[in-house]
Amino acid sequence: MTSLAKRPGPARHAGADAYPGPRQPPAPLRSGAAHGPRVKPRSVRPQKESGRVSARVVLTVIGLGAIVVIALWWRSTPDVSGLGGWLTGAGEALGLLAGYGVVVLVALMARLPPLERGIGSDQLARWHSMGGRYVVSVVWAHALLIVWGYAVQAHTSVTSETATLLTQYPDVLMATVGGFLLLGVGLISMRAARRRVRYETWYYLHLYTYLAIALAFSHQFADGAAFVSNLAARFWWSAMYLTVAVLIAWYRFVVPLRAFARHRFHVTGLRQEGPGVISVYIGGSHLDELDAEPGQFFRWRFLTRSMWWSSHPYSLSAAPGKDVLRITVKDAGDHSRALSRLKPGTRVIAEGPYGAFTATGSGRGVVLLAGGVGITPLRAMFATLPGPVTLIYRASTPQDVVFAEELDAIAAARGAIVHYVIGSRAELGGDPLSPRVLRSLAPGLVEQDVYVCGPDGMTSAAITALRAAGVPKRSIHRESFEF
Amino acid sequence: MRRVILTIVGTIAGLVALLSFKSHLPTAPSASVSTAGGSGSTSGTPAPSSSPSTVPGEFPMGSLAGKLPAGETAVTGHVATTVYGPVQIQLITRNSKIVKVAVLQQPMNTANDIQIGEFAFPKLIGETLAAQTAKIDAVSGASYTSAGYIKSLQSALDNGA
Repeated sequence: MTSLAKRPGPARHAGADAYPGPRQPPAPLRSGAAHGPRVKPRSVRPQKESGRVSARVVLTVIGLGAIVVIALWWRSTPDVSGLGGWLTGAGEALGLLAGYGVVVLVALMARLPPLERGIGSDQLARWHSMGGRYVVSVVWAHALLIVWGYAVQAHTSVTSETATLLTQYPDVLMATVGGFLLLGVGLISMRAARRRVRYETWYYLHLYTYLAIALAFSHQFADGAAFVSNLAARFWWSAMYLTVAVLIAWYRFVVPLRAFARHRFHVTGLRQEGPGVISVYIGGSHLDELDAEPGQFFRWRFLTRSMWWSSHPYSLSAAPGKDVLRITVKDAGDHSRALSRLKPGTRVIAEGPYGAFTATGSGRGVVLLAGGVGITPLRAMFATLPGPVTLIYRASTPQDVVFAEELDAIAAARGAIVHYVIGSRAELGGDPLSPRVLRSLAPGLVEQDVYVCGPDGMTSAAITALRAAGVPKRSIHRESFEF
Repeated sequence: MRRVILTIVGTIAGLVALLSFKSHLPTAPSASVSTAGGSGSTSGTPAPSSSPSTVPGEFPMGSLAGKLPAGETAVTGHVATTVYGPVQIQLITRNSKIVKVAVLQQPMNTANDIQIGEFAFPKLIGETLAAQTAKIDAVSGASYTSAGYIKSLQSALDNGA
């Protein structure tokens, strides 16, 4: 379902169950569509600044938490002496950090609105993915160092100490099972494995992390020197786990179900937009209360026999209406193919809106830079952003261009400009998005806000070129599809 | 790849720095002896000749006074407080000779404390029986427990073993 990719098959997502996945290419809104053309620029309210946090704040809070965890270790460790002491001390410190790290990783995926709005799902998923690898490594370093350190202290072999730990230390066996589960989830999430595993398989195996965390919880208090004689530490540690559990339950289950009850999302129609490209119209009531903005996406769960159990993220491919939302999906996987068989009336649970890729409301001119299906959220923004807008649309072949007619119509209606940059690098004779080209396509580029959306490689290259062209970092907004 | 290496090196460096800041036993660890509790009581009771024996690798726990054969005397040491918990021992003497040592209290906060005790006390007791004094070596990997043991042992000897 990764429409970016010309390769068929399941989409690739290194991120944990975030699956910030493919926002599908938008289809043209021709007259006669389920709702009419929406070419009149509508005023975009400035983003609410409250309730959003910056990446720096979040990383600082995570770092401060880690320092508190280290302080907890410091307090409970009388000294470090001898090989056994060093190994055990390092093992205990890593164990505490791992216990903290899993909570952070889960919290990043708890769909907390300040994080979703302030940082964006794609960035959160990247953090989760990187942090996940790190935490799984820390978990196992903890286990191995403890076994080795205890063996040294007790003057016994590593093998017999392993047996002792598993059989005689309370809850260590359970925690070990949890450790193997985490390792398994980590392995299937690695890039090489992800490509061979279906999204659904990967998603469901990922749920075992909850089991792993539950299995490993009790050994922390039963065996951890930092906790056994420290009631306050046990209390706050439990409170941390409990808080994240409640947030998960609230934002991933209660909020979507309440929204379902309030808005009564249901499929109102389908429209074939082109070969393998289909739009799904989702109706509902009070949709304006969602405060969705062009550039954002929802996680959609279609309540049919075959699709109810997984939700998939698709961008809005048109500005949200009062009673209808639209997504457009390119056929690239089981799920997207199944969408074409949806019947009107099918009920839908929509989770969202998510995404930090929205208009800043700065009032300056805007340049939209789309790579391939990166056109999706930009299509919605192109029609709605106020002020002068320039769209640069990069695609490898003419067949990859979607919505040319539609984009031209919007451009004509609002006096905006569309540049198509089509062809391979060789055909175009050099870098198609070099700083020089960008400056000539969008005069005054440096003074404008630039929104870049496309595959990771394209956005990275484009941002480098934009920086070289003199665009300040804070004016560049990015959304990547592949993680 | 470079980031992976940086992360690993950074984590290891951070851990090493952290552990280095912890003291490394400048001298023998201290264990304070409290005068409350377990005053050096002496008792000798005639009893059946069967005496509790210790399985190799294990050691008697809990007071042996009350089931002593004739001629044996139990002397209880003070409670020595260590950072891991209290240590208290009891000596059984016959003709001013230490014939048995029982552990009345030992650190038991974590399973690892118990495992270290299971390993350290038999060694310490063996050393005590051989040396017949409190001048014995600490067991490596159990320095605090050893210090507590030696403190409690010394107080028992001072109290009239």
